[in-house]
Amino acid sequence: MYDRRVVRGNTYALQTSVLPGQPDPIEIQRQQQAKRRALAKKRAQEQLRPRTPEPVEGRKHVDVQTEIYLEEIADRIIEVDMECQTDAFLDRPSTPLFIPAKTGKDVATQILEGELFDFDLEVKPMLEVLVGKTIEQSLLEVMEEEELANLRASQCAYEELRNVELAEVQRLEEQERRHREEKERRKQQQWEVVCQHTETAQKVAARAFAQRYLSDLLPSVFSSLRDSGYFYDPVERDIEIGFLPWLMHEVDKTMEYSMVGRTVLDMLIREVVEKRLAMYEQKENQPPTRKPEDELGGSGGVTEPPAGYEQSPAQPQGPLVDRDPLERRPDDGRYTENVVSQERKLLEEEEYEQARIRSTSGREVLQPREDLEP
Amino acid sequence: MAHARISMCLPPDINPTQAAIAYGCRALPKLNQELQSEDLLTRQKALMALCDLMHDPEHVYTAIDIGCLESLKALLKDSNDMVRIKTTEVLYIMTTHNVGREGFLEHDVILALSYLLNDPQSDCRKNLHLAFKHVAQLPSGAQGIVKSGLIPSLVWNLQREEEEIQVLLLDTLAACLMEDSTEALSSRVVPFLKQKLLSTNNDIRSKAARTLIAVSIPLEGKNQVWQHDVIPILVHLLKDSVEEVQANAAGALMYAMVTTQGKYAALDTEAIQPLMGLLDSSLSKARLNATKALTMLAEAPEGRKFLKPYVPIFRILENDTSEAVRRAAKIAIKVIEWKP
Repeated sequence: MYDRRVVRGNTYALQTSVLPGQPDPIEIQRQQQAKRRALAKKRAQEQLRPRTPEPVEGRKHVDVQTEIYLEEIADRIIEVDMECQTDAFLDRPSTPLFIPAKTGKDVATQILEGELFDFDLEVKPMLEVLVGKTIEQSLLEVMEEEELANLRASQCAYEELRNVELAEVQRLEEQERRHREEKERRKQQQWEVVCQHTETAQKVAARAFAQRYLSDLLPSVFSSLRDSGYFYDPVERDIEIGFLPWLMHEVDKTMEYSMVGRTVLDMLIREVVEKRLAMYEQKENQPPTRKPEDELGGSGGVTEPPAGYEQSPAQPQGPLVDRDPLERRPDDGRYTENVVSQERKLLEEEEYEQARIRSTSGREVLQPREDLEP
Repeated sequence: MAHARISMCLPPDINPTQAAIAYGCRALPKLNQELQSEDLLTRQKALMALCDLMHDPEHVYTAIDIGCLESLKALLKDSNDMVRIKTTEVLYIMTTHNVGREGFLEHDVILALSYLLNDPQSDCRKNLHLAFKHVAQLPSGAQGIVKSGLIPSLVWNLQREEEEIQVLLLDTLAACLMEDSTEALSSRVVPFLKQKLLSTNNDIRSKAARTLIAVSIPLEGKNQVWQHDVIPILVHLLKDSVEEVQANAAGALMYAMVTTQGKYAALDTEAIQPLMGLLDSSLSKARLNATKALTMLAEAPEGRKFLKPYVPIFRILENDTSEAVRRAAKIAIKVIEWKP
């Protein structure tokens, strides 16, 4: 109901003015009220409508039936109590077949042979359909089975082929593997053989090279040894070891002999000289001039025996020559003789011996040389 | 008053053991609900109805779509035998269709099924193994079985099961081992297969030989086959009465003889003669496998020496009907006449 005091709708919105097309809500309310008033009026007027007047006093209005047949109108229904008892032990009987009562007119008709339809003709299409459907169904089933059998057969064939192909593949794999292994083995063998070959070749080459290299070694070693003097010539060695010592020994001996000889000679000369000296001294008391020549010769002989002795085999006059220088010197060396004569003797003896040895060796050397020369 | 049911005799095409199948697209959802009901009878009737419906691949697809597999997985752990048998049957029928197999792999049903491997009911186990066999036909299914680690238990069961189930197990194992045989090899599958090779049942022998083919594809398998002395048995089987067995034995030999030890083991047991006999068998598979096996033998020098006089037979084989046999014969001749 529209009451202007109660604001409906959005209060924030401005109160819009009523659209011209729509009726005013106030108007609607007024119309409704008017309608109600009209209804109430109508009802009131209904009530005011004239009705049957009230019965006069002493009389009663009674409803009476005016139809032909009277109808009993009673408030209470006539009731009669009736009892009924079913037999307790009886089973419910089976429902009888419901045969509806015959209604309507009985009409009979008689169909004679051939009037309605020809069975054989009519049945053909039906039979065809029936039989056809049955056969179709069975054909379908049989075909299905055949298809299944074919599928299975092709599956088997496929499986066979697959097995065979797989076996073939495996066989080829196996073959490949064997061949490869064989090849590997052979390659290995060949490789070993080649290795051995190269090794032997290298060994041979190394040996040949070593031999060649070392072939010089021996001569070079020998030559270097020989150059550094590790080898000796046996003849030389023999000469050096055996011959030369003996030679030297012999030379020594010869020298010694000559020295001894000289010493003896010197002694002799000394004795002679001493005797002559003594004689001369005796004579000097008479003539002192002649004797120094002998002494000089003697001393000369003393100092130059090797030269003298070297020439001695060719010059038997040697000693005389020696004697003369000996004889000449004592004049100068009178004093020296007297003072150093003893020392000299010793020295001279040694020198004599050495000189003698040398001379003997020299003689002997000379002799073999002379022997060798021709 | 009239009732809806007119007479006590039921119409002839209602199966009292089956639940009523609702019309059209409501059939499967309603059955799914019934599967989850608490009442045993309802569940059983629903399962029977499901069995019938699952022959149609479209129903299989719808069923997987609305999640029947979850309810079926729950039912696998039911205590009632009938329920379990029927559930496994439903699952087995589903695996005959590819949609079903893929659904299996997505919803991890293999693992749920594996709990029933030791079920006391043999029917249950039979359905279970049928389901596994069909799953294993699919390569991804076989991988799924291998990945869920079922191979050792399957191999173990091979020993203990009855013959029918052994046949199914061998089929499953053959398919799975084609994918991956490492787990099986470590769970001693070769000795078990060796025993099976000597069984009296033809099917078992031929399937055991086929499983051996799968086992001896990897190198480890070949070594194990040689170590356990299976080769003499295989050579003996080459003279078996059943052609299928001969063909499979030749196939197993073909793989086992790739290794040198295998070759010499086979030569020691005189394998050449029976293999030559197989060359004019009627099964093309037998001819093919025998030719390939002889090719393997011809790799060895002794084999080549033996086979040299038989080259004309291979030349005849070159005009064989099957393309594969022709190729194999050509390769065989080439190998026999190879000079180092």
